[in-house]
Parts: sequence; C-alpha cells; structure tokens
Amino acid sequence: MEVTVRIPTPLRSLTGGEEAVKLSGATVREVIDGLEKAHPGMKDRLLDDKGVRRFVNIYVGEEDIRFLDGLDTALESGQEISIVPAIAGG
Amino acid sequence: MSTFRVEPQLLADKSALVVGVGGLGCPAALALVRAGVGRVVLCDDDRVEAANLHRQILFDERDVGRPKLDAAFDTLRARGGTEAGILRVHGRLLPDTARALVRDVDVVLEGSDNFATKFLAADACQLEQRAVVHGAAIRWHGTAWLVPPGGAPCYRCLFEDVPAGAQQGCSEAGVMGPVVGFLGALMADLALRWLTGDASAAGSILSYDGKRDRLRTTAVPARRDCPLCGQRRIAELIESAYVSGICTA
Repeated sequence: MEVTVRIPTPLRSLTGGEEAVKLSGATVREVIDGLEKAHPGMKDRLLDDKGVRRFVNIYVGEEDIRFLDGLDTALESGQEISIVPAIAGG
Repeated sequence: MSTFRVEPQLLADKSALVVGVGGLGCPAALALVRAGVGRVVLCDDDRVEAANLHRQILFDERDVGRPKLDAAFDTLRARGGTEAGILRVHGRLLPDTARALVRDVDVVLEGSDNFATKFLAADACQLEQRAVVHGAAIRWHGTAWLVPPGGAPCYRCLFEDVPAGAQQGCSEAGVMGPVVGFLGALMADLALRWLTGDASAAGSILSYDGKRDRLRTTAVPARRDCPLCGQRRIAELIESAYVSGICTA
C-alpha cells in the first residue's frame, strides 16, 4: 500500500525539508519503519519503548490511531498519515 | 463602507486572562482589548528583549529592558484600552496561583513557551471549569484550539503529559513573526467566539502551516481514560507535576 505521510514543520529537518513522504506499508508500524530507513532519527521522535510518544499523535485520514488499532492499524493505498506533535513556543 | 464587529455591550462584562505576553499573547491581547472585552488580565514575568521585537507587536525599541506587562499596558492604553480594563499580574502562572487566576475570568488564552505552563493552564481551567484557548508556534507552524469548561476533549486528551527530557529551545528553533501573529489573532478569534456564545470550534485543533498557507482542522476525540477530563484523576495542582523544558517537537 502506498500512503502519504505528512511531515509537520518541526520534524522536517529530518526529511531535508520535505513536507510529504510517500512510503509503502501494510500498517502504520511498517510505514514508520520505512520512514526511519529513509530518514534516520524519525522513529525516535515518534515512538518510545511503549509505543507512540505521549506528546505525539498520529492520524490515518481523520482518525487518531489510538482509537483504531494503534501501530497495527491497517492501511489502504492512497491514505494519508498525519503527525501532530505537541509544540510549545511563541 | 460597512463594518462588522462584535457588539461592544456583549463583551463589556466579559473577562480574559492572557498567559504569556509574547508573540502569541501580544496580538491576542490587542484583539481582545480592541474588541471591547471589559477586563483583560495579562500574566508574564519577562522583560522585553531586542530579539522579541520582530514578533511581539506591543513592544518597540524603547521598551527593551522594561517589564513586558508595563510596556504592553502602555501600548494597549494608547490603542483604546482603559486603565481599569487592563490588569497586570507580574509573575508566571504557578501551581499555587493558577486556580485563583483562572477562576477570576471567563476565558483563558494560553500562549506560553513551555509545556509546564501549558499543562498547568489546562489542569487549572478544568478544575475551575473555565474555557481555555491553547496556542503554540514554532518556526513556520502553529496550533490553536478551544477547550470548553469540562474538556472532553481537553489538552491531556491529545498530549497526555508533560514531555520528559531535553527539548529544543525557542532561540534554536526560531519563530516566524507573521506565523505567531496569525496564531495569536486566531486565539483571540476563538476566545471572542466563545465569549459571545459560539462553542462550535471546540473539539478540533487548528494547525497552520505558514509555508504552504494551509489551515487544517483536525477533530480531537475525547479519551475516556484521560486523567483530566475523563477519569478525573487530577484533583489538585501539584508543583512537581509541572516540570519541563521549553519549546519542542
């Protein structure tokens, strides 16, 4: 399944400024593994040993994966994954 | 030319607390005062620095070194605010003062630069049943969202707890003036809508991308196991619960 991962501004330093990355994977976990291979360091910003970091939210379409099957949420081709990190600043 | 504005009498007996008079708080406070909110309380402990001036629109070069609240007060008075309508609380929002401060107003606008204050404001507003507008910006990206009294969803539904470990500093990350200006105005928009009876924005976080000029609305589901608005395990403000670095992602 090819999906598009929308990279939030604070994490674009890891993607060389890319706003969106196309990756293949059957689940969110596989896509994040692919993201890590393509852009090392990304996985550590998104996950810890318990799963998705508490101050990061990952959406498939408009759905928070915490309310789906978490990292095992199945993906369909063409879907969009969004990452919404907590930010503080101003 | 016709004009559209909120009728001043609707706002004259309303009040707002602005936590953090920085890049977000400056435009938000100006919009609230100019809209006619009867009492705007400003809370901050910083002094104006030259590095603030590109984004903190209530200050200019003559204010460098002054307490932000005094400089903001003078500018807001010059822009139509009344002496009685602009109050200054010199200091940070702290666990021992937060509940009394938020209890005293109708809505809180939280635009602080650190997670400790964000979670503290969220918790205090939930405990005192006050609406809060959270705002944040870093580089070209920012978010704003309205949490009504009672939450569901609230800040902890989305971000759970204060991030641990070192966080990236604002000075390192950078903040774009137009982006915080836009987000500060958006915070005021959400607050004014709430004050005039429109709660339709609650339940979604607005994310602005200043490089692509995109404003995205993302629904935030309430979490039943949220410690704040779900299970209500947070019943008081404990100082040790609010420790973090500044900025991030």
